[in-house]
Amino acid sequence: MVKIYVVDNGGQWTHREWRTLRDLNVDTKIVSNTTSFKDLLSEDINGLVLSGGAPRIGLDGKLGNCAEYLKKAKFPILGICAGHQFMARFFGGEVKPSKIPEFGKIELTLLIENNPLFENVPKKSTIWESHNDEVTALPKTFELLAESQNCKIQAMRHKKKPFYGLQFHPEVEHTECGEQIFKNFVKLCD
Amino acid sequence: MFDTKKFIEETTLQLKKDIDGETLIAFSGGVDSTVCAVLVNKAIGKQLIAVHVDTGYMRKNESENVKKLMKKLGLNFRFIDASKDFYKALKGVEDPEKKRKIIGEKFVRVFEKVADEEKIKYLVQGTIAPDWIESGGALRDTIKSHHNVGGLPKKMKLKLVEPLRDLYKDEVRKIARVLEIPVSERQPFPGPGLAIRIIGEATPERTEIVREACDIVEKEIESAVKNELMEMPWQYFAVLLPVKSVGVHGDKRAYGNVIAVRAVQSIDAMTCAFSKIPDEVIDNISTRITNTMKDKINRVVYDVTNKPPGTVEWE
Repeated sequence: MVKIYVVDNGGQWTHREWRTLRDLNVDTKIVSNTTSFKDLLSEDINGLVLSGGAPRIGLDGKLGNCAEYLKKAKFPILGICAGHQFMARFFGGEVKPSKIPEFGKIELTLLIENNPLFENVPKKSTIWESHNDEVTALPKTFELLAESQNCKIQAMRHKKKPFYGLQFHPEVEHTECGEQIFKNFVKLCD
Repeated sequence: MFDTKKFIEETTLQLKKDIDGETLIAFSGGVDSTVCAVLVNKAIGKQLIAVHVDTGYMRKNESENVKKLMKKLGLNFRFIDASKDFYKALKGVEDPEKKRKIIGEKFVRVFEKVADEEKIKYLVQGTIAPDWIESGGALRDTIKSHHNVGGLPKKMKLKLVEPLRDLYKDEVRKIARVLEIPVSERQPFPGPGLAIRIIGEATPERTEIVREACDIVEKEIESAVKNELMEMPWQYFAVLLPVKSVGVHGDKRAYGNVIAVRAVQSIDAMTCAFSKIPDEVIDNISTRITNTMKDKINRVVYDVTNKPPGTVEWE
């Protein structure tokens, strides 16, 4: 059984991420973002989800021990919303308040074909959003995967490491291909 | 996938271990508290007393129906009419968070009174995941204080037992179906009740208005679903707004209240899309509300906000 833990950064949908993984028969648990990397390793996890969180933690300051995970992990990491923003900032990208924040129903456009995280996801699909900030400059080591009309960096991936970031929320019911994206991430971890 | 049978077995065993003494369950008659009551009843039987509180902010005929349900389920129960107390406590209160906290505390004080009389040690609540998620704490922001979590007083004599904490409503419904509980498909109704469907002060008079409007919305939508005009929304109700508008009734000027109708689709209330109600149905709701409640309501609007950015209830 593949083992993926969810790091809680205080999001409204952290528990939904846990539920989606559990429903895909993943061995999963919600852990505090103050958990040390050593403790995570000792549990033999195959992957990690960095949840979203309360307003602005993606913008500056620390996000628990997320920096340590991003520095040391060899396994796949999926950053969602604030988790995604923190990932971008950690690798030298830029995060700023959104000129036009997005809440609720938005259309996602994929920019790259054949990315494993978006396997079986159509070029255009409905996603659900809830963010005040966004990644405004991609880190040099990352590749852009998707955009929406008002947010140009909706999905990204590290060019060498198995790290992915999503501004939108694949864990909620109203994101059309959310479960498919999680399935693909589970496959990447397996 | 979520395994209902396993959950029922494991939870019943766990409850037997956790509960050692007389126990009270806060029983609203909704799907969460009813599933909880049946599970705890399975585990400890006669040691359980179900308490239903009529807060004065219940829907039309609700408390009477809950009484029938408690009898049907064979629960040992108490029925407490605390409506005067609740109305008094909310007098002059307009802030939604204050309303929720006052109601949360009132509930616990009522339960404590029963507990003292019956030497009860434990309080069982049908708390589910969105309740504690939205109530916030530590890293998580408070979206709204659910009366059974963020609304609980800091000092409490009773020990809390919440067997459904990690579940969402769709999972609770699955358990309810397995347990053959009659209210398995019932729409959610918040613990603070109609008090948070009245924007501004929740006076007894304004409560009567929103109670009637909610009843009309429920009946019209349920009849439309029955006639296959639309799918069943997750939740559907009326909200009384604190604004007045001008109308014309039989060539005479009218100046009355505004009702907002809300209906949303969801599986777990964590994200919602507003329901696409057919024009014919919304027309019936509007005409019925403004005609039968003409002295009180002369305008009806429909809420077209998703969650996020909105929440299901307005407060």
